[in-house]
Amino acid sequence: MMDILALPFMQRAVIAGVLLALILAVLGIFVVLKRMAFLSDGIAHASLAGVAAGILAGLNPLLVALGLGAVLGALIAWLERRTKLAGDALIGLVFTGGMALGVVLLAFKRGYQPELVSFLFGNILAVQWNELIIMAVLGFAILVFLLLCYKRLVLMLINQDLAHVAGIPIAFYQTLLYVTVAVATVLGIKLLGIVLVSALMIMPVTMAKLLAKSFGQLIVYSVVAAELMVILGLLASVTFDLPAGAVIVLCGLAMFFVILSARALIASKPAKR
Amino acid sequence: MNAVTVKNLSVILGDNTILNRVTFDVPKGSLTAVIGPNGSGKTTLFKALLGLLPFEGTVKIFDKPARDVLDRIGYVPQHFDFDRTLPITVREFLAFAKPAQSKQDKEVCHETKVDELNDKLIGQLSGGQLQRVLIANALMRDPKLLLLDEPAAGIDIEGEKVFYELIDHVNKKHGVTVIMISHEINMVYHFADQIICLNRDLVCSGPPREALTREVMSKLYGQQMDMRGHTHV
Repeated sequence: MMDILALPFMQRAVIAGVLLALILAVLGIFVVLKRMAFLSDGIAHASLAGVAAGILAGLNPLLVALGLGAVLGALIAWLERRTKLAGDALIGLVFTGGMALGVVLLAFKRGYQPELVSFLFGNILAVQWNELIIMAVLGFAILVFLLLCYKRLVLMLINQDLAHVAGIPIAFYQTLLYVTVAVATVLGIKLLGIVLVSALMIMPVTMAKLLAKSFGQLIVYSVVAAELMVILGLLASVTFDLPAGAVIVLCGLAMFFVILSARALIASKPAKR
Repeated sequence: MNAVTVKNLSVILGDNTILNRVTFDVPKGSLTAVIGPNGSGKTTLFKALLGLLPFEGTVKIFDKPARDVLDRIGYVPQHFDFDRTLPITVREFLAFAKPAQSKQDKEVCHETKVDELNDKLIGQLSGGQLQRVLIANALMRDPKLLLLDEPAAGIDIEGEKVFYELIDHVNKKHGVTVIMISHEINMVYHFADQIICLNRDLVCSGPPREALTREVMSKLYGQQMDMRGHTHV
């Protein structure tokens, strides 16, 4: 075990995984609170356009996808306010539009694209130091934002009218939240890939909801669940030589059923007199 | 002096006129009830007062636009729709709305009997308990104007009486101007100083015993309806 952790690529993978698990798990709470589990999935798929544009232009695909993700997050928030259309319909619009643009752009690039495959399904074991620095800087900014604003964000997501009366500028915070979710999602693509990244936003909070008795506990349990998913998944993927992203998601699914079964078992036990 | 001044207020959403040139004043320190049938524009009126909806006409609260005096307004919405499976305790919810709580806020919790609910999850509260929490949340802002949108909905008859006494106490002892949407004509008769009757247009306004005539009730609720139809005692 220690031999594996001594390898530089594994060290980078563990640092990136632990950091992304923390950010995505905490943001996942706000996504679930907003009932927009589809948001991260939509942004992830739409960011294919950014990845494709980066590959075509010879730029860092992660940076281009991050920029595009932020723009798309702000666009969804703006369209939601301007059109009063349902959020999931707008996300679906951006989701399919971005994905289609990505496919068209990739048609201009001939031959096998290993980089593209790593973005589709994730390849955390290939994370480079420069990417890790981007993750650390943006991840720190996201955590500071959440730490400073989480009470205002939660009130806004529970009831916008109450938040308005409390003097919270809804449009500003909603846009900021969407942009933050978009940026975190694109960062997570390196770990789980476009196809699976939303799992790390949805699974931990879903598990935590089964156990938590307060919002504070929900945050702690979500983060613990996300970290366990990533660490167990990484170790299993290296041990059995399987794709890391998919194994992390399967670990999460297994953990969910273990928690669910344990809860059912405890509930079925007659209370002691 | 008036707490609220409304002149020619119209709210038009798409092709639908929800409120049509409504004009009224709410005196400072009064307890005013807004009544009207479903779909008569009562909740829309509150949303316009709070600046949550676009409108035509003039709305002044303490002689200023609502956005400038939001910190002096407490609001209890009619619908409080949220994911009830989310584990948020009453204590946490109140802290989201007002992070730094004072001794006075603890008194509000005691007065509204919310202190005994502090560790309960808001998703597991009964309708009446949730209303108490929302009222405590509004009162903790130390408001000068309290807007209550059907606050007694979901409360049993005994709880309803206690609730109206609490609102009366807040109004009389603390001098808070209260505007309350209500369907309980009997309670309105008993507690309100002034009444505003809406049915898209302003149908009546004034002290309940003068304003609530048989003709007005008929205009609001149809021919079969009279005051006796709404009384509980």
